[in-house]
Amino acid sequence: MKLSLELIVLLPLLGSLFNALLGRIVPRRLAETIACAVIWGSFVAALAAARAYSGPVTMEMASWLSAFDFHAPLTLYLDSLSLILCLMITFVCGLIHVYAVGYMQDEPGYCRFFALLNLFVAAMLLLVLAENLPLLYLGWEGVGFCSYFLIGFWYQDPNNATAGRKAFIVTRIGDVGLALAIVWIFQSLGTVSITQVNQMGHSLPLGVITGLGLLMLLGAMGKSAQVPLMVWLPDAMAGPTPVSAQIHAATMVTAGVYLLMRLFPLIGLSATVTAAIAVTGALTAFYGATCALVQRDLKRILAYSTISQIGYMVLGVGVGALTASTFHLIEHAFFKALLFLGAGCVITALHHEQDIFRMGGLRRTLPATFYCFLAGALCLAGLPLTGGFFSKDGILAAVWQQGGLLGGGLYALGLLTALLTAVYTFRMVFLIFGGNEAQGPLASAPLAAKGKPHQTLPSVMQWTLIPLALLGLGGGLLNLPAYLGQGWMAQLLAPLDHGDQHGLSLGVELTLQGLAASISLAGVALAWFRFGGARRAQRLAEAEQPVRGLAAFLLAGWYVDALYRLLFVRPYAWLSGVLWQGVDEGLVDQSFDQMGTLLGRCGQRLGSWSCGRVSIYLLSLSAGAALCIGWFAWGAL
Amino acid sequence: MIVPLTHVLILAAILFCLGLGCVLAWSSNVIMLLIGIEIMLNAAMLVFVGGSCQWGMADGQVFALMIIAMTSAEVSLALALVVYLHRRRKTVDVDAFRELRDNETKP
Amino acid sequence: METYLFYILAFITVVTTVLAICEKHPVHAIVYLVTSFFALASIFYLLSAPLVAMFEIIIYAGAVMVLFMFVIMILDLGHPEQVERPGLFYWLPAVFLVEIILFSLVLMLSVHSGVSVKPPAVTVHDFAVTLFTRYGVAIEIISMQLLFAVVGALYLGRRRKI
Repeated sequence: MKLSLELIVLLPLLGSLFNALLGRIVPRRLAETIACAVIWGSFVAALAAARAYSGPVTMEMASWLSAFDFHAPLTLYLDSLSLILCLMITFVCGLIHVYAVGYMQDEPGYCRFFALLNLFVAAMLLLVLAENLPLLYLGWEGVGFCSYFLIGFWYQDPNNATAGRKAFIVTRIGDVGLALAIVWIFQSLGTVSITQVNQMGHSLPLGVITGLGLLMLLGAMGKSAQVPLMVWLPDAMAGPTPVSAQIHAATMVTAGVYLLMRLFPLIGLSATVTAAIAVTGALTAFYGATCALVQRDLKRILAYSTISQIGYMVLGVGVGALTASTFHLIEHAFFKALLFLGAGCVITALHHEQDIFRMGGLRRTLPATFYCFLAGALCLAGLPLTGGFFSKDGILAAVWQQGGLLGGGLYALGLLTALLTAVYTFRMVFLIFGGNEAQGPLASAPLAAKGKPHQTLPSVMQWTLIPLALLGLGGGLLNLPAYLGQGWMAQLLAPLDHGDQHGLSLGVELTLQGLAASISLAGVALAWFRFGGARRAQRLAEAEQPVRGLAAFLLAGWYVDALYRLLFVRPYAWLSGVLWQGVDEGLVDQSFDQMGTLLGRCGQRLGSWSCGRVSIYLLSLSAGAALCIGWFAWGAL
Repeated sequence: MIVPLTHVLILAAILFCLGLGCVLAWSSNVIMLLIGIEIMLNAAMLVFVGGSCQWGMADGQVFALMIIAMTSAEVSLALALVVYLHRRRKTVDVDAFRELRDNETKP
Repeated sequence: METYLFYILAFITVVTTVLAICEKHPVHAIVYLVTSFFALASIFYLLSAPLVAMFEIIIYAGAVMVLFMFVIMILDLGHPEQVERPGLFYWLPAVFLVEIILFSLVLMLSVHSGVSVKPPAVTVHDFAVTLFTRYGVAIEIISMQLLFAVVGALYLGRRRKI
């Protein structure tokens, strides 16, 4: 067991080191193979750990930080939640690595890419398996660092570097919250071990718990792109598509949710905190869905969709339904990674065209991609009997069970968001894959002119989509609702839950499921009426006009970027300008310059004493004599 | 001694200060400057002679003689210098000759 | 009696010196100065130093001041209308410093109480003996210095093609 745990974290780390140090020397195929092999090796180690799993396990690997009474050794903690997440992470990331081999086949900087990708997986696994908070923070920072580097992978374009910087700075704001919470925990409880902290939660006053919870929520907001710190995720799409799939869909953005789930026994004791978490999640879900409705860039649609779905997960945590949240997290990883990888296939095939209004007829030319993408879209929209349906419905049922004004309002918001989700998902599908090829006024002229419409896709890029599609569609089997047999995941995660799940009666549960199913079908129908078939060409023509009104508002992400620029960026830039030119150059430099000039002038004045004029010399002599004689006379008094 | 030594010394001090004042004030005329120096040297001679009278030793008077001799030499050289400089610049203003100043400072 | 003589002579000395200093005309200043030297020589005589008094008159008043006169005549400086008195910038610091020095010296001298001892008066014989025995080397050196001065003055004053 210990060996398995060590291998889970160490293998990706070693792969990263190999690629970083030796990747340029060895042949390209070898570097890529090592990079993928370590992830799959990690998956095998996770499977071995799962086979040997019989209960929560703590393994201390080595000592790390130890001073006075502060101890933070390198300890890994395996319980059902981290085991499930390890399996998901290694599997999905393994597939994405294989995909990336094909996607980046023309890229000269592949060593850097794979080294960072492996390092990212190592950090994420460390985050998930960490037993104490500093180790978790190490993994947290590690994923943030890799994310920054990978977003700005093609750094020669300043836009990419700016997007990376934006991601780093915004998540840093959240990280401050987490760091403060860790220090506060140590100061109140004297320990930073997560297992101990979760047990000691009752000994703290409610105000402290609320404060800690809100700080951790801030950290989660940053990392998981929740309102108000969600502005970085749409811009982070500047990175390569495998990066978007791995980091910004399946794994890193779920780190915030994981943090909240891990420390839920502590922070769930405060009703304020749980309400705040739930409201944040619901608002973010709604925000993401509305913005995704009008986007034109394919990856931006998926980015806003990620924001929205993670909002659902956070909402689930807020109402205490940890199983449902975990289930949705796993499902989301599968179908969102699938959608991103499919988007990568589409974009590569169309010579890096990302505007969905310029695509068309791909269901005939890229059939494998089309069917897998459709599978992912079905899960995202939550059509009945897909995995996505069961997971989303689980969360909504838990919200309904919460009851009260808050529960009711959040349920309505969640339902509305589900409708919007179905609409935008199938808007995307119809616009990309519907119609005929090169139809409409906006279709890319060079494609038609060349006669050879598509760039040939590497086969790995299409084959890796299939396992994800199967998992997405069949994922419902992982956690069937109670009336269809006890959910396997619910049994596994039972120690985590607060046990509120079992209160729904069969009738209520069926009603809720039926409601959710009908909403998603209605959404698909709406999308069909607007974007499907003959109306598609109409929409393409309309898309030529500049966007106005509500659409413009949504397209700019509710103008949050502009708001932040006004509130924070401009005053900060003004302040730095003042400090730079006014204080640093004006005050500090000037004072040094003037001091130097002053000394020079003093020296010159003193130097002018040797002017060559005898009268001045005589005067100086007599003045000196007067001084000495006067001194003696004074002494003689 | 006919008067207390203190009175002699006070007279010498007055003469010395008068000479010093002449030197400091008359830098526009080098002849007056040299006259001031003469007055100061005379005051020194008075101190020596007064001391010799007070203590009955001839050394003071000997030194007064030395001063006279030295002054003659000095005056002759100084006046030769004045003549020479007057031939160069046609002025006896002592401030007019500034060639020995440090050239980097402004005049 | 000599006491009063001393004070009168002292008074004359100081007054003529002051007049010499404040005189615009250089020749008048030199004449005042000679008068001052005569009074000073008389003081020397009263202080039982007749030889020094004689030397003062012969060498100082006789040779040195005449030399001054010669130079004034050569340089044609005897036009009082062309001379301007030193401005404020010159005599104010001079007066100030001189006052300080004078005041300090007088203060130091008056604080110190004189010792009353009655030694014998110095004779010419004593003077000669001291001069030629104890200060023999000094005489030689002084005579060499006079030689240097002559040489220097000759060199500086030589005619040259201008």
